[in-house]
Amino acid sequence: MGLFGKYRKKSPWILHYNTGGCNGCDIEILAALAPKYDIERFGALNKGNPKQADILLVTGPVTKNCKDVLRRLYLEMPEPKVVVAMGACAHGGGIFRNFYHVENGVDNIIPVDVWIPGCAPRVEALIDGIAEAIEIWQTKSKEKEYMRNHGEIYEKLGVNNDD
Amino acid sequence: MIWLIFAILAPVIGGFVFGIERKVKARIQGRMGPPLMQPFYDFAKLMDKRPMMIHSLHALMGIMYFVAEWFALFVLFLGNDLLIAVFFHVLAVLALVIGASSVRSSYSALGALRELMHMISYEPFMVLMVVAFYLVSGSFNFKDILNSQAPIYQLPLVFLSFLLIIPMMLQKSPFDIAEAHQEIIGGPEIEYSGPFYEAIYTGKWIEYIYVFFFVFLFGGSNYILGSILVIFAFLFVNILDNSTARLDFRKMVKFSWVVLIPLAALNIILLALWR
Repeated sequence: MGLFGKYRKKSPWILHYNTGGCNGCDIEILAALAPKYDIERFGALNKGNPKQADILLVTGPVTKNCKDVLRRLYLEMPEPKVVVAMGACAHGGGIFRNFYHVENGVDNIIPVDVWIPGCAPRVEALIDGIAEAIEIWQTKSKEKEYMRNHGEIYEKLGVNNDD
Repeated sequence: MIWLIFAILAPVIGGFVFGIERKVKARIQGRMGPPLMQPFYDFAKLMDKRPMMIHSLHALMGIMYFVAEWFALFVLFLGNDLLIAVFFHVLAVLALVIGASSVRSSYSALGALRELMHMISYEPFMVLMVVAFYLVSGSFNFKDILNSQAPIYQLPLVFLSFLLIIPMMLQKSPFDIAEAHQEIIGGPEIEYSGPFYEAIYTGKWIEYIYVFFFVFLFGGSNYILGSILVIFAFLFVNILDNSTARLDFRKMVKFSWVVLIPLAALNIILLALWR
């Protein structure tokens, strides 16, 4: 963390991805952006672009179709980055647990830093989780992070492994 | 000398203008809004990210956009022709277009094409506006324009058209076609990340200074009138941004070529006939 790293906590840009949930959590995220809670006060913006985002906010159980997209989004984010799993579905599948089309939680695909419990979590819980994520994010470095079985995943996705 | 300092400090002033704009936008929507220094915090954060580049030309063109915008501002403030400054601004936008179309991302290529549509809708007007300034003050130099009678009295229609050109130049809401955050996530800047995105982000602040300086020129020797015009244009553009939805690019080009450019041309023709 150099000269610029001190101001990192002042502008967390959020990438929100729904892996096939019921949109309950998404409505809570939109409520957090709306005038009453207004997380733009803390500099948080909802960016739709993984290359410019810092916090990956995942909602919903990971369906098999969304699995590779979630991995790809994680790989495309440049490095000081945090993953926040929001809602019961993202934790372990929720009511979709052990269905035939579900991978049971975000942690099976990418490493998760912060968990926000609830179905759906209240906006206060979301803001609390993001504040916790920012504290974890402060301690992370610019170096490349590796996720679980990254070699196999890179091979499967056809990404060049430039170690 | 004071203009040289102004040109060097342009990114800082532009950052403050951008911060004020985010604050004003938040207040219009009934929110508190981020702090005034927010663009600089974003700047520091983006400089601290890991640089991920697609290829070197793409990254270079991102930095080139920032450098060329700043260069256009220097050309403007060091006493050259307004026309040359306008052409250097074209160079800056072209750098963005070349960078965006050099990657194999369909969103980026689409954004580059739309950016060209922006360019063909506002650049002819910019040249016409400089010609109008020449008719009023008899010089292409901005210092002579600032010493002459306020051009707004003789060019009201040009000013009215320029108010509606500003959303095209700054990519604001009725005409934010290139940078459509909901459909082609950012358009030309989608593939930029970290420090290279920061270059694009800072280039935009400089574009604010560039555009609002042209508004200031309408005040002529009356600097207070010029400042009032700048504040009015700033608030007008923000209110327009918050109250309208995105249009089709055909409508933008049609609006520019059928309404705005003939309006400005009419003003220039009447002015030339009248004197």
